[in-house]
Amino acid sequence: MVRSELNERGPLRVFEKSINGGLGKGHIGVLASKKGVGKTACLVHIATDKLFRGRHVIHVSFSQKVDHIINWYEDIFKEIAKKRELENAIDIHDEIIKNRVIMNFNSNGTTIDQVLKSLSAMMTDGNFPADSVIFDGYKLAEATQDDLVKLKSFAKEANIELWFSVSLNGENPTYNKDGIPTVLEEKIKDLDVLITLKYEGDHVHFQVVKDHDNHELKDMTLKLDPKTMLIARDE
Amino acid sequence: MKTDISKMRNIGISAHIDSGKTTLTERILFYCKRIHSIHEVRGKDGVGATMDSMELEKERGITIASAATSVNWKGYDINIIDTPGHVDFTIEVERALRVLDGAVLVLCSVAGVQSQSITVDRQMKRYNVPRIAFVNKCDRTGADPLKVKDQLIEKLGHNAVMIQLPIGLEEKHEGIIDLVTMKAVYFRGPDGEDIEITDIPEDLLSDAEEKREEMLDSVSMFSDELMEAMMEESVTEDLIHDAIRKGTLSQELTPVCLGSAYKNKGVQALLDATTRYLPDPTEIKNIALDLDNDENEIVLESTDSKPNVALAFKLEDGQYGQLTYIRVYQGNIKKGSELYNTRSRKKFKVGRLIKMHSDHMEDIVEAEHGDIAALFGVDCASGDTFVQTGLNYSMTSMFVPAPVISLSIAPKDKKAADNMAKALNRFTKEDPTFRTFVDPESNQTIIQGMGELHLEVYVERMKREYDAEVEIGKPQVAYREAISKMAEFNYTHKKQSGGSGQYGRIAGFVEPLEEGEYEFINKIKGGAIPTEYIPACDKGFKSSLSKGSLIGFPIVGVKVTINDGQSHSVDSSDMAFQIAAVGAFRDAYTRAKPVILEPIMKVSIEGPTEFQGNVFGTINQRRGIIISSADEGTFSSVDAEVPLSEMFGFSTNLRSLTQGKAEFSMEFLKYGKVPKGISEELIKDYEEKRRKESGK
Repeated sequence: MVRSELNERGPLRVFEKSINGGLGKGHIGVLASKKGVGKTACLVHIATDKLFRGRHVIHVSFSQKVDHIINWYEDIFKEIAKKRELENAIDIHDEIIKNRVIMNFNSNGTTIDQVLKSLSAMMTDGNFPADSVIFDGYKLAEATQDDLVKLKSFAKEANIELWFSVSLNGENPTYNKDGIPTVLEEKIKDLDVLITLKYEGDHVHFQVVKDHDNHELKDMTLKLDPKTMLIARDE
Repeated sequence: MKTDISKMRNIGISAHIDSGKTTLTERILFYCKRIHSIHEVRGKDGVGATMDSMELEKERGITIASAATSVNWKGYDINIIDTPGHVDFTIEVERALRVLDGAVLVLCSVAGVQSQSITVDRQMKRYNVPRIAFVNKCDRTGADPLKVKDQLIEKLGHNAVMIQLPIGLEEKHEGIIDLVTMKAVYFRGPDGEDIEITDIPEDLLSDAEEKREEMLDSVSMFSDELMEAMMEESVTEDLIHDAIRKGTLSQELTPVCLGSAYKNKGVQALLDATTRYLPDPTEIKNIALDLDNDENEIVLESTDSKPNVALAFKLEDGQYGQLTYIRVYQGNIKKGSELYNTRSRKKFKVGRLIKMHSDHMEDIVEAEHGDIAALFGVDCASGDTFVQTGLNYSMTSMFVPAPVISLSIAPKDKKAADNMAKALNRFTKEDPTFRTFVDPESNQTIIQGMGELHLEVYVERMKREYDAEVEIGKPQVAYREAISKMAEFNYTHKKQSGGSGQYGRIAGFVEPLEEGEYEFINKIKGGAIPTEYIPACDKGFKSSLSKGSLIGFPIVGVKVTINDGQSHSVDSSDMAFQIAAVGAFRDAYTRAKPVILEPIMKVSIEGPTEFQGNVFGTINQRRGIIISSADEGTFSSVDAEVPLSEMFGFSTNLRSLTQGKAEFSMEFLKYGKVPKGISEELIKDYEEKRRKESGK
């Protein structure tokens, strides 16, 4: 399979379709689930899909080392290349890797101002034309209203989309009647897209909880393949 | 005199530049009573530290060469191999690591684990060197040894355990608390040589007790006896020492000491830890390769009853001629005995045999197994293996990377020319990553190495040590050419007019080879080319690779398959087929869409976060790709991949961008394709150069 074909037919097109054509620039999207369900894998798959389509992605992480994040990207790329029998995989890999930057921040005490300042530096001084920023491990649920406003205006001004992962504490996190995790209830008005991930039998199911201003939520016919950790069609 | 080998230590002191390693080494020598006064590395008195033997090192305040020095501490013989801290000299570091049995990893209590520490630690891991850590500079503002211990765990993956705690930090740093003995240790007197041991000050006691518990918990994993003793509350110091030693030797535990070498704090305690926890030569498994037996691995035995095996790990030019530092692995080497150099296949006689102390050398009659000594007047290169006649072993060959940068040099006068030749001869023997040759086209002397600084240092050494002033040309990147597509060829070489003729036809194809430089596949059936001419074809193709037609650099990654051809019963010859192969390759090369490759360096930059934007900017301007950045509050680091050709003058540029507050390390990563615009420029330059030359 060649790259363009992969881009047109990938499961991420289904993903975008069910959220009104994608998150869109200037918007904030969230993937929420309890720990260990596969949020990072999903975010990396979303990022890799963008890279495949020639976009630029900044991956923001809050861990001690960046090696394992790089490994995530390598693994996801390999799985996609293998599954879709991608032609010229090595050349494509080398080409798209140039459009990805990983920025790591200390998990303790880094303010959102610092993060946004570094992101701006990367985009302006570093001349890196980011289209999307992936925030993995940022404690969005604990962010103040002020922080959210800053994130939102940053997304608008820089004309980029922001994806967050949110870890829900405990074995059985609570949700309200609309399926919104309790910890995100107060923040939902500032989020454009919210998707929850839950185990259903032997696979992980994607549920669209908020889709921009659209009130008729579509079902996501997607699952997370437990072996490859790739997002796949749920057929 | 027979030494007790269990009381022998071969240790290295390895660290990030500027973490105070040279000062520490010098203090160790002092306390071991081998030198009599303390001089600073960047001393005002112009004497300088003892280990930095070379002028240049004194001036730069960094240590370049690894000299070995023997000291004695409380009945233990310690050989200290001083290892350089700059990444451009990693081959020196690696060679030193090869011969040592244990190491002290020095870290700055303010800057903590920096990129260079990571490189050095990775090398030590590769050579399975047990380590203890010393957190230095506890007297500096911002000192935080516990943070450094956490970084050892997080960044380097060590199971690091504090075995000491500081008494006061920054300007109040007075001494240490020994968590094994649970005593306070102060270092009094002008040079800290008077050790005063008291009870732990009350205000520090509860913290010390807590940290001791933590230490015992980690350490007891390595000793069942200690664990039992803990349950019965009958823990003894010896039990703890034994457990720490076991953990350290298995490389599963890194005991952390601390202090300030500059302020004379904690060095003696570090020496105690060195002799207690680091291994003696018999506790390390050393492997040689049997050259007579398909390079099979042989485990060497540190005993005097086995035949000699020794490794020459360092050459030095002294006033009495060439000094060769050796590590003896097996057998005792006696003065007057005969050894065999397995690389040069030459026998030689052991003349003068010495041990180097910091201030004098001692003539010895025998170098014992496990020990480090030096030989006079032996013609050899660094990395050579010496064995007793009858053996044919080689110590594992060390990984030697290919040079990535070259520079033309020209002596300023006749005297300089002679001296330059001497210097180059010496340097190439000392350092396998440093190479030199005369370019047959320009007739210029070219030196090659691993980076700009690497070559700069040798140019300076030529001037200082050999009185050879040279003019240097512009640094030249070692480009490569490669093909990107499969291309067929069918070429006939024919010269049959008068005299003995030449005839050969070769057909087949070339294609890119992912790994390796060159492969030749013969798929000729039915003798279209007689078997006797096949090697000539191979030779012809191979010779074509030495110079590509794009910009005249070597071609790499080519697989040639021949599948057809034709010969002539009278006019075919080796020569004819060789020429045909050259022609065939030239013909196919253009169609195989050749590209230019350039060395890409992995560059790590660290500095205050306020300059992050500038750093991102300069990487971007240099065609670099930022792989990741890490932000740790006021300090941040950036990892990037940047073409070497764009890295010239980077250190100056970085200094001015960051007010001198950032630093960087750089190492060769891979060869990558040159972007189209730049490759067109390179080709244009090359064509112009050739036109000029042919016009001359």
